[in-house]
Amino acid sequence: MAPAHVGLAAGLTVLLLLPLVLPAFFLVLLIEIAIVALFATSVNLLMGYGGMVSFGHAAYFALGAYAAALLVKKGGVPMLLALPAAPLVAGLGALLFGFFIVRLTHTYFAMLSLAFGQIVYTIIFKWTPLTGGDNGLLNIWPPDFLRSPAAYYYFTLVVVGLSLLALHAIVSSPFGYALRAIRENPRRARYIGVNVRRHQLYAFVLSGVFSGIAGGIFAFYNGSVFPDFAYFNKSFEPLVVVLLGGVQSFFGPLAGAFGFKVLEWLISKWAPIYWPLFLGAIVIAVIVVLPRGFVGLVEGRGWWTRPATGK
Amino acid sequence: MDAITNLFPWITNGPLIAVQVLSGLSVGMFLFLVSVGMSLIFGVTRIVNLAHGSFYMVGAYLMVSLIEVLPDRPWAFWVALLLAPMGVAALGALIEMTLLRLIYHRDPLLQLILTFGLLLVLGTLVLLVWGPDTKSVPRPEALAGSVRVFGQPFPSYYLLVLALAPATAVGLWLVFYRTRWGMLIRAATVDREMLGALGVNVATLYTQVFAFGSWLAGFGGALAAPTVAVALGMDGDVLTTAFVVVVVGGLGSFAGSFISALLVGELQSFGILIFPAISIVLIFALMAVVLIVRPWGLLGRPEE
Amino acid sequence: MVDAAGDRQVALRTVGLRKHFGGVHAVNGVDLSVPAGDLRAIIGPNGAGKTTLFNLITGDLAHDSGQIYLAGEEVSGLPPHVLCRRGVGRTFQITSIFRRLTVLENVQTALLTHHGRHFNILIPARRLYREPALALLERVGLREQAPKPSGILSHGDQRRLELAIALASEPRLLMLDEPTAGMAPRERHEIMRLVARIGRDTGLTIVFTEHDMDVVFAVAQRITVLHQGAVLADGPPLEVRANPDVQRVYLGQQVAEVRG
Repeated sequence: MAPAHVGLAAGLTVLLLLPLVLPAFFLVLLIEIAIVALFATSVNLLMGYGGMVSFGHAAYFALGAYAAALLVKKGGVPMLLALPAAPLVAGLGALLFGFFIVRLTHTYFAMLSLAFGQIVYTIIFKWTPLTGGDNGLLNIWPPDFLRSPAAYYYFTLVVVGLSLLALHAIVSSPFGYALRAIRENPRRARYIGVNVRRHQLYAFVLSGVFSGIAGGIFAFYNGSVFPDFAYFNKSFEPLVVVLLGGVQSFFGPLAGAFGFKVLEWLISKWAPIYWPLFLGAIVIAVIVVLPRGFVGLVEGRGWWTRPATGK
Repeated sequence: MDAITNLFPWITNGPLIAVQVLSGLSVGMFLFLVSVGMSLIFGVTRIVNLAHGSFYMVGAYLMVSLIEVLPDRPWAFWVALLLAPMGVAALGALIEMTLLRLIYHRDPLLQLILTFGLLLVLGTLVLLVWGPDTKSVPRPEALAGSVRVFGQPFPSYYLLVLALAPATAVGLWLVFYRTRWGMLIRAATVDREMLGALGVNVATLYTQVFAFGSWLAGFGGALAAPTVAVALGMDGDVLTTAFVVVVVGGLGSFAGSFISALLVGELQSFGILIFPAISIVLIFALMAVVLIVRPWGLLGRPEE
Repeated sequence: MVDAAGDRQVALRTVGLRKHFGGVHAVNGVDLSVPAGDLRAIIGPNGAGKTTLFNLITGDLAHDSGQIYLAGEEVSGLPPHVLCRRGVGRTFQITSIFRRLTVLENVQTALLTHHGRHFNILIPARRLYREPALALLERVGLREQAPKPSGILSHGDQRRLELAIALASEPRLLMLDEPTAGMAPRERHEIMRLVARIGRDTGLTIVFTEHDMDVVFAVAQRITVLHQGAVLADGPPLEVRANPDVQRVYLGQQVAEVRG
């Protein structure tokens, strides 16, 4: 126990001291990595721990972003008060859509989640009077004291840190145990008294909530929100991150986010328009080339790669 | 009653409704072509091809290029309509042979993620080849105007689509139920291993099926090209709608795709009359209702 | 666990239970009555309807007609997770456990769900019900295996684990579908003696299906013989073995092999 805590404390200290050393550009990159890490971890709650792969989670990210942005832009609400709306609205969206999506499994689940994601995109895109449509909402800035890269960096660190802590608590909790049981063997889970569908719905909602938080922070980081926050390209990213970082571990998505963002930065420097091409090609290569063990859990039978504990 | 006629002034306008119904059928036709291709591929290979919308898009873009390249004659359109889907079929066959063959034995979710990656790759390739501008395909001279249906104007081009709808459905039915190849396909959807044991070259069959499915999507795109703005993002839009069609109709069901495609087409068509963005809500409502009553789609079967 | 008074003395009763698949009547009017604390074996040739009957009782399949009573309450048609709450536990022909969870976590999860705490997201689950889980594992002889991922256990140990999981839900009625499948003869007797002992200690009613007649005659208090979806004979082992119908239809030469 102690060494892990020491490691964590050391890592935290490093993170806290970075703004003193790094130029603004890298702080900004770290902010993005943190946001993607939170988004991917929330998707992993569903995927790695729940065995449900959603292809439309960008919808909840976008709902969170737009909820906070709308309150600020149209309601004149200050950012810190508007931000809690992000997880709330995202959670409600996840409740509404999740209710239908969890009735299905595997392929149907994936397809329906994708369809609902696109529906959210279309609604945002078309409802111009409210959402600004294709033009999005602009000038969504944090209050002055959070506007510098270093300040927003600390803010992101706090929010993402607390969120990850909460997610960790969830996967280590009785709820998390039952969720993993469902993932392992839904039938056996029923026979120990778990209402599988209801449990999956709660997991779906929780996952949506944290995706919403990621979206909310991103909105103010970005200064603007656009409909394509909900587009399926964006739903793909957390899947790739989770795949790269390791489906079965809690901190896998964090590592994956780091690798993913660095890769994106490198390729975008060179040819930004081709980023989806590279993203797609990389994922195809990873799935085809790398052996089953690496991708571990998703293959289903790779239980021997590592024990499925909360870490 | 007055309130309703105030809100929907067209509701007592019979001819207008009739024309909308016909438009809806046309839209449904495009959806049917894409969905049945996706359903067919899934039925035989058990892969849900997320890049299926991309094939639709490539079909449309190929129409654009072919029309540009071919001389400006009346027959150019028809030649393009013939060639574009074949190009898509070739692309599909290529993808199947190089990529999909490697992942047939893998976890279905990895297959989904991989075809998702393919979707991104194809989308960017289209951007690379054709550029970001919106393109259009002119209708053939013979069908460029409109006719009067019940006194209402109705684009002649849609008559072609409406004529092709039953023709294609019948054609597909003949292929599936009256040819040896079709019989092999139907057998494959039921039991693939048995088919291999009987000496059928299953690998070749898979390639053929995938090519045929891609052909159908490409044909849908080529046929639809003169009626829509040919632009990036077509793949996503049609994919979503095709997913809805397939989820509502039942994955793997030919008849289900047909009924469902027409339903969704009609919803899109009438949705525009009520309020431009409402069709998406109507479609959502349809999906919700169907899923509650029949979770595997109207005519679908539960997954193994 | 078992209440006195009236119908509650009968742990499980089915009346006229029927289920058909297409034209096949898998279960064709089964009347079964299992008193509390019984250790009942259900036997019959392949295709007699044993597994279908099991699936009907445990909520896996919807019945076509008939009723199922659990300690006097009708439970026909309830889904598995509700039946579990009413006190029905079950193991499966093909071992059904949570493979990537550790042995201990398997039982802990069953316990915390049984106590309704599986929606709790606020506390860590690691220490929850740890001692009761270890006690259950002790009882089935798996205590040393507690920290291991359950998927690496031997077949026999996995079946013991499944037993522990089923017991964690404190069932009144335990349905074991071919509990000794895939085991060597000695292990079969071991595990069924364990089951019998647990039944005696806790007053649990146990119903199991089995093909190995040695095992059946060694532990069962009563035997129900199914044939073509209906009950052919029902009674203490000696009585059933002596029943000419049973001998004709099922036991055949196995009667000669089993020693009194």
